[in-house]
Amino acid sequence: MITCPSRRETTLLLDYASGRLSAAESASVAQHAKECDDCAAALLEYSSVSDALDLWEAPPVSAHFNRRLWDRIESAASAPFYLRIADWFRFHSLKPAIPVAAAALVIAAGFLLDHPSGMNTPPATARVSATEADQAERTLDDLQLLRQFDAAVGGDVRGKPAPRPARPM
Amino acid sequence: MIKGVSTVVGESPSLDPDVRLMLQVREGDETSFGILVQKHRNAVVHFLYRMVLEQAVAEELAQEVFFRVYRSRESYEATAKFTTWMFRIATHLALNWLRDEKRERAQERLDEPARGSKDGGDELPARQVADRRPTTEQRMLYDARLQEVRDAVTALPDKQRAAVLMHKYGDMEYSQIATVLECSESAVKSLLFRAYETLRRKLAHMARGAA
Repeated sequence: MITCPSRRETTLLLDYASGRLSAAESASVAQHAKECDDCAAALLEYSSVSDALDLWEAPPVSAHFNRRLWDRIESAASAPFYLRIADWFRFHSLKPAIPVAAAALVIAAGFLLDHPSGMNTPPATARVSATEADQAERTLDDLQLLRQFDAAVGGDVRGKPAPRPARPM
Repeated sequence: MIKGVSTVVGESPSLDPDVRLMLQVREGDETSFGILVQKHRNAVVHFLYRMVLEQAVAEELAQEVFFRVYRSRESYEATAKFTTWMFRIATHLALNWLRDEKRERAQERLDEPARGSKDGGDELPARQVADRRPTTEQRMLYDARLQEVRDAVTALPDKQRAAVLMHKYGDMEYSQIATVLECSESAVKSLLFRAYETLRRKLAHMARGAA
């Protein structure tokens, strides 16, 4: 690692080697490199790296690039609405939202299936009335049982056979 | 999605002719969009090619870049240089592709352990390299050097690689690279310094002008 004070600006030598400095800055760096072996060596290496990177040429772009792009733009414009919605999600990088939305739909559907009459649930007052009528009917039944029991007990005392109590259903 | 790009000191979007073209695209002028594509497609495809190392993938991603530019025309705001915005989209796509590719390769390695020898640099597909050497020997030397350069750049961490490619081949300012990579200018300089130090260690032995 070079410890020259001129490296306070980390990219100074890199900028020099890649021709990004002004004439005055370049002259200053060149002058410094004459007196600093480390910087002179680094500059040589940076230049070698820069030249080496120049070797790497990219292949030419295919001749049909523009036509393919326009075809895609046109097909996107004429796509069905559901494909455009899917594309909108993809375009807005909302991929995670899709499973979340799907999960929410499944949960909602499950809730509706589990509570098919959820929308027609009678009001609370109606439920209370039905419960009270049921309780009153049971109470009357119990009273009738008690009366029959009393009659049976009284019969035994008076030497009559006790009638068998039958709980009405 | 990458939307508005914050204004960066040193950038003058209002003076950028590409921004003016893009504003015309926003108004419905498709000819201006065609001009932008024609003007920047080489830079975008070449950048993506050096990122993903596959020409077909690079072109596909570049199509996506321009498609997104077109799709965003109505909400476009001139807050930065057009190329900064465009390369931000390109870099975003390239880094995502590299991430997915690494995940797939890792899965393939798990699925096919017998193909261990295919891992690493040896599995790079054959490249289309312009043959500029008149003799076989010179061509072989050129190819070997090119492979060395490519391997050295490819071995860099993804962000460092993107920074080097934008700096070296895209001739972009530090402020632009910082905006593209969503970091500070000093962070970009640090990225580049570390990247070039690595490249120096690997490539400095190539004598200047030897190729």
